[in-house]
Amino acid sequence: MKSEKRRRRAGAVYCGFIYLLLFLPIAVVVVNSFNATESKPYLSWKGFTFDWYGRLLQNAGLLDAFRNTLVLAAVSTILSTVIGTVAAVGMFKYRFRGKSVIDALLYIPVVIPEIVLGIALLTLFATVNIPRGMLSLVLAHVTFCIPFVIFNVRARLDGYDRSIEEASMDLGAGRLRTFFHITLPVLAPGIGGGALLAFTLSIDDVIVSYFTNGQTKTFPLKVMESIKSGVSPDVNALSTLILLVTVLLVVLTQSGLIRRLRHKP
Amino acid sequence: MKKKQLLGALLAASVLLGGLSACGGKISTTGNASAPAGSTASGASAGEAASSGKGELNLYIWTEYVPDSVIQDFQKQTGIKVNVSTFSTNEDMLAKVKSESAGAFDIVQPSDYMVEQMIKQGMLQKLDRSKLTNLKNVSEAFLNQSYDPGNQYSVPYLGGVAAIAVNTSKIKDSITGYADLFNPKYKKTIVALDDYRAVIGMAARSLGLSMNETDGAKIAQIRAQTLKLKDNVKLYDSDSPKSALISGDATLGFCWSAEIALAMKENPAIKIVFPKEGAYVFFDNWCITKGAKNASNANTFINYMMEAQTAKAVSDEFPYLQPNKAAVGLLGDDYKNNPAENVPEDVINKGEHVKNLDTATLAKYNEIWTELKK
Amino acid sequence: MSKRRFRSSTAPVLTMVGPVSLWLVFFVAVPLLYVFVMSFCSIDENYNVVFRFTLANYRGLLDVDYLQIYVQSILIAFFATALCLLLGYPFAFLISRTFKSRKTILYMMVIIPFWTNSLIRIYGWRTFLGASGWLNQALMALRLTDSPVELLFNRGATILGMAYVLFPFMVLPLYTAIEKLDQSQLEASADLGGRRGATFFNVILPQTVSGVFSGCIMVFIPSLGYFYVADILGGGNSDVIGNLIERQFQSGNNWPLGAALSIILIAVTLLLVKLYQKCGGDIQSLGV
Repeated sequence: MKSEKRRRRAGAVYCGFIYLLLFLPIAVVVVNSFNATESKPYLSWKGFTFDWYGRLLQNAGLLDAFRNTLVLAAVSTILSTVIGTVAAVGMFKYRFRGKSVIDALLYIPVVIPEIVLGIALLTLFATVNIPRGMLSLVLAHVTFCIPFVIFNVRARLDGYDRSIEEASMDLGAGRLRTFFHITLPVLAPGIGGGALLAFTLSIDDVIVSYFTNGQTKTFPLKVMESIKSGVSPDVNALSTLILLVTVLLVVLTQSGLIRRLRHKP
Repeated sequence: MKKKQLLGALLAASVLLGGLSACGGKISTTGNASAPAGSTASGASAGEAASSGKGELNLYIWTEYVPDSVIQDFQKQTGIKVNVSTFSTNEDMLAKVKSESAGAFDIVQPSDYMVEQMIKQGMLQKLDRSKLTNLKNVSEAFLNQSYDPGNQYSVPYLGGVAAIAVNTSKIKDSITGYADLFNPKYKKTIVALDDYRAVIGMAARSLGLSMNETDGAKIAQIRAQTLKLKDNVKLYDSDSPKSALISGDATLGFCWSAEIALAMKENPAIKIVFPKEGAYVFFDNWCITKGAKNASNANTFINYMMEAQTAKAVSDEFPYLQPNKAAVGLLGDDYKNNPAENVPEDVINKGEHVKNLDTATLAKYNEIWTELKK
Repeated sequence: MSKRRFRSSTAPVLTMVGPVSLWLVFFVAVPLLYVFVMSFCSIDENYNVVFRFTLANYRGLLDVDYLQIYVQSILIAFFATALCLLLGYPFAFLISRTFKSRKTILYMMVIIPFWTNSLIRIYGWRTFLGASGWLNQALMALRLTDSPVELLFNRGATILGMAYVLFPFMVLPLYTAIEKLDQSQLEASADLGGRRGATFFNVILPQTVSGVFSGCIMVFIPSLGYFYVADILGGGNSDVIGNLIERQFQSGNNWPLGAALSIILIAVTLLLVKLYQKCGGDIQSLGV
């Protein structure tokens, strides 16, 4: 038993160490957002201030980029979730010619390095003359999001009992109604998981956006631009705010979950 | 269940943060009447006129070259919304402009040889001289260059050299030329420009050869010399090499002259050395692309940049060689007597400009670069 | 089996699978095909792509220098993957099994950094490890060293950076696989007198091997292409294949060469995936 406790403690130290490494650069980012430095490269500590949070609101370029990222992620997530869910269900239910081809094509955006997808899409857009900007970004982001949505929905479809659907149809509900009232609710966790993954991938996408953005700045690309000149602390400030909101929401939902579990009989 | 809640949470987060950025949009409209808080994709399509009716302008400029304050002032004065993208080398700029549809960028900032290249490829349009009334502010010595006789397509912006920076508190030896950078004792000390024509050209100069060699045997010599740099270069940075000098990550540098000047201001132990072999000399220019959707605004902008006050503001932040004599008058002795900023004429005359080469030769140069950076 | 459903399956198939099929064809198949074609093209004096057949772009396969870059890139990816695996496996195991009462919150704490922009985190490492960075300042203040310790701008820094950015991609599949471990088998092994080491190698590892493979693939392949990590932490000194390709679309102005390098990279990737499947990896489990 004592060795068990010792092992647990060692394990806790190890996990703590890993978390330390994971959060260390984030701590650096947060702390530097309060740095009163004025001169590039903004590395040396010159005192504590909230100034940069105020200046963040005046940095139109940065906020525009962030707005672009949110819009892009939202649109890409919605599009890829709709197309992907419908496709996953369709592929599960029906057998048709070319299914294996579609299957193979689905794995390509997941497996190949992002840079290859990026240059391939750039090549396409340049040849067909699709204007580079928000449009090309959405097209690119949906492309790499769809497979993840499909895989997540598919995982949920594994072992799905079709008889419920057949029962519904036999009772007179049309195909569409069955889909919305029977199939979708069962798939909800898979769809949610896929959508969440799509959103996450889109928000943080650097490489594919780098090639397909034209002049539209997304937040990651704006950060990349800042890194070249020296990251001014208002970028840190925005990152800290994003982090705060995310952590807050995770904490809220987690405690909400725990509270609900406690109240269950 | 957990994942669905998280999804809801995240979407709520995005609404919250979207609200934040919307707020920012409202506050940031200093004289920029055109940015409604709910607008998406700024600058996505150069053709869309902002709701102020004054239009837009798409700039494609060097990093660390045009002060934000200058651009903000232009927006305030004219109501034109300016969208800025940046590049790190001439070749990057050429690649991006070519990959976009014609006229996606209104204004570009090519160096001397790149102006010639872009004229040759029909990528530039003639400037509207009737709008460039401030051209008289530019000193004649910088006009009418061989790459654009009569300044039909370009007006000069700033110039300088790629010189050597020495942190004298760490490096006690006397550094006199590019050749010294290849000394094996300076292992992992140098911050070099991330620009293959600059670095390979520098290696060529260190051997007494031209930066624009086409002869196979000479290129082989340059290759051998360039590869000696591999152990000495700690990092490559064309955008802000001063950061590495200031932070002490690098104690020697092959950098743009103003970057060295700025580093010198932060750390007086850093000194500039003009190479005895003759330096890499450059001059950057304002040009308007062919098919630019906002050509009229572009000419207005270029004229604005040539105003004495504007040029002075530029030099205050990025102290390169300033061709605007009216601005030089305003700058005073700090600029005039500082060789890192006001690069002496004899250094410019002794130096060499990059010239355009044929693609076969450039392919060889690119191979040297690939080998160096692996 | 209702006849009605069988007869009318074309319409639903078209509406449900049609969009994704069109999407995949236009935005995956066609672009890649075009890249393949472009890899055999040349450029003219104005750097425009012309349809003049050439194999010159593939000389990279035979050129010693290019091969060296590929080898170095693969080594960087290999070490990054190994690091992720060695650090990630015990970590995933501890979260899933040892601390299972807190596992949700612990799991979320791995994902949260993932939601912060990866570039700014990499830059955070640069701020921390630089010559005037926090670590060096602390070390010098504590008089542990006279001059700054050189931690950045070398291959090691690139490997650490890749491992850092891709760590969640290793932990998540491992965690999923470890969650599925059959507790009763573990107990049986202990009951039969198996020591912890034996239990690990004979019971735990084989059952989680799919997670291991999945994690390895999800770390290894991106490592070959993440050029910005090599740029920011490596200082441009330790190029990976991604840098090589990116350069051809930027300063190199040579799209056909970039295309050829990309095709070679795709080939390497497909080879690895085939290897993965041969070793029993389940391609279905990727990306979930």
